[in-house]
Amino acid sequence: MNDNLSPILIVEDRLADLDLTKRAFARRHLLNPIQEARDGEEALAYIKRWEAGERPPIFILLDLGLPKISGLEVLRQLKSNPASAAIPVIVLTTSGEDKDVHEAYRLGCNSYIVKPVEFNKFMEVASQIEIYWGALNIAPL
Amino acid sequence: MDPVYRKILSDGLQGQLDLHSDFIDLIRFPEPEYQTALHDFLASKYKHQPIDLVITIRTPPPNEFTTLFRNGLFRDVPVVYIQRDAERSDPNSTGVYYDYDLKRTLELALQLQPEAKQVFIVFGSSRVDRNYGERAKAQLTEFGNRVELNYVTDLTMSETLQTVAHLPPRSIVLYMTITEDSAGNRFNTTDSLDKVTEVANAPVYATDKVFWNHGIVGGHFMDYQILAAKSAEMGLRVLRGEKPADIAIEKADPYVTEVDWRQLKRWNIDEKRVPAWAAVYFKQLTFWEQYKWRVVGALALIALQSVFIGVLLVERKRRQRARQALDRLNAELEERIAVRTAALDAKSRELETFAYSVAHDLKAPLRGIDGYSRLLLEDHAAELNDEGRLFLQTIHGSTEEMSQLIDDLLEYSRLERREFKPNLVELGPLITTIVEQKKREATETTIDFVVNVNGGSVTADQNGLIQSLRNYLDNAVKFSGKATNPRIEVGAQETVKNCLIWVRDNGVGFDMKYHDRIFDIFQRLNANEEYPGTGIGLAIVRKAMERMGGRAWAESQPGEGATFYLEIPKLLNERQS
Repeated sequence: MNDNLSPILIVEDRLADLDLTKRAFARRHLLNPIQEARDGEEALAYIKRWEAGERPPIFILLDLGLPKISGLEVLRQLKSNPASAAIPVIVLTTSGEDKDVHEAYRLGCNSYIVKPVEFNKFMEVASQIEIYWGALNIAPL
Repeated sequence: MDPVYRKILSDGLQGQLDLHSDFIDLIRFPEPEYQTALHDFLASKYKHQPIDLVITIRTPPPNEFTTLFRNGLFRDVPVVYIQRDAERSDPNSTGVYYDYDLKRTLELALQLQPEAKQVFIVFGSSRVDRNYGERAKAQLTEFGNRVELNYVTDLTMSETLQTVAHLPPRSIVLYMTITEDSAGNRFNTTDSLDKVTEVANAPVYATDKVFWNHGIVGGHFMDYQILAAKSAEMGLRVLRGEKPADIAIEKADPYVTEVDWRQLKRWNIDEKRVPAWAAVYFKQLTFWEQYKWRVVGALALIALQSVFIGVLLVERKRRQRARQALDRLNAELEERIAVRTAALDAKSRELETFAYSVAHDLKAPLRGIDGYSRLLLEDHAAELNDEGRLFLQTIHGSTEEMSQLIDDLLEYSRLERREFKPNLVELGPLITTIVEQKKREATETTIDFVVNVNGGSVTADQNGLIQSLRNYLDNAVKFSGKATNPRIEVGAQETVKNCLIWVRDNGVGFDMKYHDRIFDIFQRLNANEEYPGTGIGLAIVRKAMERMGGRAWAESQPGEGATFYLEIPKLLNERQS
């Protein structure tokens, strides 16, 4: 971990999924610190911190099926708040439903990825995310 | 009188009647020389004409007739007298008699004019006139205590008329007769009456039927025809052989009391005052009396029509009410249907959400199972023996299988939920693309793919169509994989009504008795180990086709390969446009 690097925020209620994601990033030797939010409320609490001047993440991985406040509502608030609107949000969810995809893009998500069940594919996806959003993509920091 | 006698006597004698009428004019010509001459004249007139019966009229015995003719010409002839009393004049005679009655006329007048104060009794100056006047005086004196009796007599005609034209109010005029005035002018008595009634300023009454319809209000009339009829009947008995002496002298009531309705109106006398014993004539019926039944009929008709109209109106109202009730009922029904539909929709959505959530929530733990079994295999391989590694492989395989099952179920349920969007699909490029994709996926097999599409396009739900073709191809690949020279042909053909697409393989095929069952969800004909699959693929195809009004079916023989068909109606094009 390098505290000089911008963090990555993972919004995920499933401990297993969170752990697997972190492991996938670790395999890619990702150095950015990982921030976690386990429900919608926790995710939105970050906005206050960014408003207070804390360093925002280079991207946010957002699950849709969240306790308390749904992932789509979190997305809506992230994208409608100036403090977080510019942060790339990658929806990483089990649902491949048309209406979820449409709604997520309508609310301003930057990418929509269906979580694969198979471990190898999941590793591949995490790796691709890290390559694209962490290395290739220039986030407006 | 002639007609009365002629009728009764002629009828009684079967027509054998020889009737003669002669006037002896005893009252107007009472002179003995004339009467004697008349007797002699009649004697010579009837010299050769034997007379069987004599009936005397208006010559009540005893008089010149009884003394002169009864002793002369008619000495042996039976006579029927119209006489004054019940006494038989002679043995060879009989007769009818009546009471002379003037009182009833005045009683009638006083009933009609109860307020009357004076009565003016009018008669002329001739012997006959005076005779009537005397009779009046004799009979009416008794009324003197009720009314003032005045006798208008011994005047010239003009004086008489002057008098009756200027009578005091509440007067009654009783006309007896004027055949001659004080100046010696002779008159027909009815003509005199006409003059009197024309000028009189009070109602005029009279006592003889001959004055009827000459301007009088009415009277208790002596109707001579009644006496004539009675005497004729008596004469008939005599002619038939009865002895006159054996025929009792009868009393007759020759009076009729009559009132002229027009005169009541003229003098403004209330018709209700007419006593029951008087008859009213010349009554002009009022409009109501005249047209009573027509009016009643018309009213009844109108009433009937009104009733009809009423009934129709009521009927119309009832129909309106019924229609309103029906409308209300329909509205209620629609409302209930809407409520039920909404409830059903809600239930349906709830079920979809449920299926969707179940499927998704089933997938999430799978990822953990697969992920950690993989991590175990990769990071802790050294700590596991072969069996342990085999177990982890099995866990992985099962996870994959379950993941596929969940994906298929999601697809099946999504098909139901997804909005149906028909669009024009070019069959050639679409089929080619799908086959090419499948070729790439199925690299390890040596299947020969043949595309046999001769152009054409169809309006269909593209997602559904692609999904159906993919599932058919998956199926074909799976079941032809073990054939010696596996071959899959995809074809399309347009007919008039439909677009037919088929996927043909030379694989294991199936028994036709299962041709329909294979399209049901979770229905499999083979062991999972041999031909893995979820049993959902063909169910998805059938559902997709049903949604676009098409059909999905298959034909096969075991070991001979199978052909799977899609049929999409072209009608869909027109329906959508």
